[in-house]
Amino acid sequence: MRAQESAYRVSLLVCGHQEDAEDVMQDALLKTYQHVRSITDPDAFRTWLYTTVRNACLMKRRRHVGEPARFVSIEQGTDRGGESTAIDVADESRPADQRMIDGWMDSRLRAALKELPALYRTVLVMRQIEGLSTKEVATITGISEANVKTRLHRARLLLRRGLEER
Amino acid sequence: MSVSPAADCQTILANISAYLDGELETTACDAIEEHCQGCPSCSGLVNGLRETVGLCRQAASAPLPEAVRQRARDSVRQLLDRETATNRSPTTKRGT
Repeated sequence: MRAQESAYRVSLLVCGHQEDAEDVMQDALLKTYQHVRSITDPDAFRTWLYTTVRNACLMKRRRHVGEPARFVSIEQGTDRGGESTAIDVADESRPADQRMIDGWMDSRLRAALKELPALYRTVLVMRQIEGLSTKEVATITGISEANVKTRLHRARLLLRRGLEER
Repeated sequence: MSVSPAADCQTILANISAYLDGELETTACDAIEEHCQGCPSCSGLVNGLRETVGLCRQAASAPLPEAVRQRARDSVRQLLDRETATNRSPTTKRGT
């Protein structure tokens, strides 16, 4: 399914985390199933889908501010005077999933994209990887077409530098 | 957008994205190519950005891993089933 692939690719590259990407893709697909009958124009559907994915990524990012990737119970957590402390722990299922993702997409590209400022990354992913037009990206991100071009140009230069450093 | 035949490096840098996106007129493209023939720095930049753009395009053509595809399908089906069940459940009447 094309919409599924686009939703996952954008959420993985924009959110940066695989688990977030799967959540975002599922949210976006659910909304798509619920609203698809009301959208008849294919171009409007594209813009709607990417806007939905972008908004879901933003929501994820806001939820994650100051939040560790995982929580452990009070028994497992570090003991600091009886208070439970949230700590990051490794997810054992991650290596297999990570290998799958690495095989799917160039890990060097994903790492370099992660280093870009969020709005540069969003513009670059939508324009360069998803092949949306400048006008579509401007509609989705709420910035002018001139601004999309400027950010795309800067994002390309930063991405190239990031790739060279890896 | 115009690029003079004797374009300097700053002009090339400012127009390089438009050049790669095919938005420049032929004369402007010729000026960039001519400049790059004598300027290793700009030539390297153009080639590097071309490779970067190519790498991004390749990323779009890779099919989604089947395991991820299946997980998404299962999860959406569960959510839809739950929603359907909620809509079908009879509304509770308040005591008269």
